[in-house]
Amino acid sequence: LGSPGGPSRVPPTRGVCFGVPAVSPQLFLRRLSSLADGESRLARLLRDKFPGASSIKVVDISGGCGAMYEIHIESEEFRDKRPVQQHQMVNQALREEIKHMHGLRIFTSAPKQ
Amino acid sequence: GGGGGGSGSREAVERLVREHPVVVFMKGSPAQPLCGFSNAVVQILRLHGVEDFRAHDVLQDPDLRQGIKNYSNWPTIPQVYLNGEFVGGCDILLQMHQNGDLVEELKKLGIRSALLDAEKDQEKK
Repeated sequence: LGSPGGPSRVPPTRGVCFGVPAVSPQLFLRRLSSLADGESRLARLLRDKFPGASSIKVVDISGGCGAMYEIHIESEEFRDKRPVQQHQMVNQALREEIKHMHGLRIFTSAPKQ
Repeated sequence: GGGGGGSGSREAVERLVREHPVVVFMKGSPAQPLCGFSNAVVQILRLHGVEDFRAHDVLQDPDLRQGIKNYSNWPTIPQVYLNGEFVGGCDILLQMHQNGDLVEELKKLGIRSALLDAEKDQEKK
């Protein structure tokens, strides 16, 4: 792409599109790490609040901006609760973080018996 | 703030959620949604033939925007209310649409989902 100097390009991972040209490798790496930071921080928080969870997945769907996330949680704690109650539990757990987001998508379920 | 008679007060919001069997708080209007998730809610209702519902554009009223979140203790928009009761946002409405619950809930409100007629047409063919 003709950007002058700099170390060799890091190949994109995790299917996120980094097709915007003129991003320096340094900025690229910083964005990549903050992408992972936001996701792993939320995942850690959720593991803490849902100790019974069998599966937790957090995906930044705002292109690495930390503005919107998709959250998938499978936990025994959701069994026999209506979806809106399950989502409300996640809202409560991420109450503070949600204040800084533009939005989030939540997918909850109890493990299949 | 939540006190007094402002448009975001508990009383004001309560009046809005009860004014019609189907009430949606969204960004933009049903004719012109300004958010993908709000659009999804409108499209799902449309699929079921629900064209007659109350929609409130929270982008036009910051007090209402905060008030509705306080009322439902739910941090995001859109919000769907059926018979005055908070049902959920876009993800939940989508889930209800996919698993048949939405048809049932509309039935309880005396609304026959258009999808039932669509199925009937399929059977005839």
